Amino acid sequence: MLEQDRKYEANTPQQAWFAKHRFSIIRHAVINLFMLIILLPLSWVLILSIKSLPDSMRGQFWPRKFDFTHYSYVFENIKTLGGNMTNSILVTGATVLLTTFFAVLAGYALVHLKPWGKTFVFTILLLSLYFPTRVVAIISIYELQDFLGLINVTSGLILPYITLNLAISVLIMRSVFQLVPHEVIESARLDGASVWGTLWFIGLPLARNGLVVVFIVNFVTAWGEFLLASTLINDQEARTMPVVLAAAQGGMGQWAWPRIAAVYIIVVTPGLIAFSFAQKLFFKGLAEGVVKG
Amino acid sequence: MDRGAEIIIPRSVGTAREPKIRQSISAWIFLIPALTFFVCYQVYPIFRIVWISFTDFEFLSTEPANWIGFGNYIEAYNDPLMWKSMGRAALFTVMFLPGTIIFPLILAILVDRVRHPLLATVYRLILLVPALIPSTLVFVLWKWMYNYQIGPINYMLVEVFNIFTYYNAPQWLGGTNLTLPSIAIMEIWWGLGYHAIFFLAGLASIPRDMLEAARLDGANEWRVFWHITLPRLAPIMMILVVLRFGTSMAVIDEYLIFGGFNRGAPTYTWTVYMYDQAFNIGLWRQGFAAAVGMIGAAVMVFFVAGLVYIFRPRG
Repeated sequence: MLEQDRKYEANTPQQAWFAKHRFSIIRHAVINLFMLIILLPLSWVLILSIKSLPDSMRGQFWPRKFDFTHYSYVFENIKTLGGNMTNSILVTGATVLLTTFFAVLAGYALVHLKPWGKTFVFTILLLSLYFPTRVVAIISIYELQDFLGLINVTSGLILPYITLNLAISVLIMRSVFQLVPHEVIESARLDGASVWGTLWFIGLPLARNGLVVVFIVNFVTAWGEFLLASTLINDQEARTMPVVLAAAQGGMGQWAWPRIAAVYIIVVTPGLIAFSFAQKLFFKGLAEGVVKG
Repeated sequence: MDRGAEIIIPRSVGTAREPKIRQSISAWIFLIPALTFFVCYQVYPIFRIVWISFTDFEFLSTEPANWIGFGNYIEAYNDPLMWKSMGRAALFTVMFLPGTIIFPLILAILVDRVRHPLLATVYRLILLVPALIPSTLVFVLWKWMYNYQIGPINYMLVEVFNIFTYYNAPQWLGGTNLTLPSIAIMEIWWGLGYHAIFFLAGLASIPRDMLEAARLDGANEWRVFWHITLPRLAPIMMILVVLRFGTSMAVIDEYLIFGGFNRGAPTYTWTVYMYDQAFNIGLWRQGFAAAVGMIGAAVMVFFVAGLVYIFRPRG
């Protein structure tokens, strides 16, 4: 013990400060190393998207010459890009809105309307999370979409997309609505509010944080979905952005590296921006709905 | 039961039965949209797959499908590729699962001790960034990271550390032996921040005075971690182990994007085998593919159930 104390005995004020904060410094160094690992890949693509063409073929992180024209170039010269982008926005928007709406209704009903068979519904939803439905069911989903005439139809993707996160969304909304006391709902009902009015004006504002989580979880899944989109859609024009990006090979002309990188940044940014607006609600919702639920 | 009911009961004793049925019907109206989609695109497809797996159904064939009993299952059982591809999925799980639990745990414990409010917030925001990148965009991002021509990983190995030259630099993706570890690293990176957020939520629920009391009693940091922190985090850790075990056994998108349909490649797992049979080869032998999928899913569910049983709450 004494031996150890002597070892860290300080000679100068700087050394004393260092000895005192030794663990804190090491801790922050390790944390920052992790943060760097998290941020580096994305920042590398961001830099790549503004490199000049010759610089993009060299490995250096910082280019000698910047070129900001790639962003306008890809929209002017890759003819199918605007269409693919519209497809993604349409499919994702519809999926997110519908799934969130359905999940709010179902989660609210399971907690506050106490339907007959609610335990059964809850159990089935929970069990479905442990079965690889997404992978195995693709064979019969293809058959189903073919029967409905929705192969190669972009908006047809919305139907299977809704179910991708439906079970978890309902379960999140359920655990969030459980935090809303029954007394609040019942007293609104006794005051003469309709079922819809109670949900819309009393329930939903209290479940706001969970709503944000469901919204973002569904956005991230639908915006990046690959398996269904690449299986059910064959035409380049009908494709969504993830399939286009996954198939893109870096090379020359339209598909030169900085240009694909620019496309990538355009696709990846909306989620990050949406999150930066909603982050406070998201963290609260995560604590309420996911971790405790 | 729930506290709400106690308040309501006195008022509704007389007419309890009728409103209860009415309430149940209106509740089911709320459930119907979600359940319709759930049944059509989750429950029905699974039953349909089970049925197909007992037939010689081929999607592109004009002949009607015949019931062949366990024929597909027997063929798959005797197929060495079936078990080899299961083994590959298991191998990936072994590479991926420990890292995706341990690194976020370490990171969460470190970040939890940051007392500076601004720094603590900034760290948490950065932790969530990878979780907000949609799946395929993560794969595309790392496809470029691992690229042997312009990828920064090989650039570092060749130009900065001079370990390799461009002629013998490792080829990470494309079905080489390095492909599974490369994908595992990517997946660990993807879950690093998100899982750390889960652990941080668990750490926040540990009362501070409990830790202080233990330290005052002379427990060192290691003992505090082992006897207080870890038991408190155990439930979260178990949920993550079970969920990630399930996802890593049933990975498919990554393998399709990075590996393709080369049967010898380590990425040719049971999921890819199923997909290959169902949508690529010949007349799309979906009967056999369904059997492959059901066997893979059954083995996976068996182990998930085992994990849930081992981790069941005790005491």
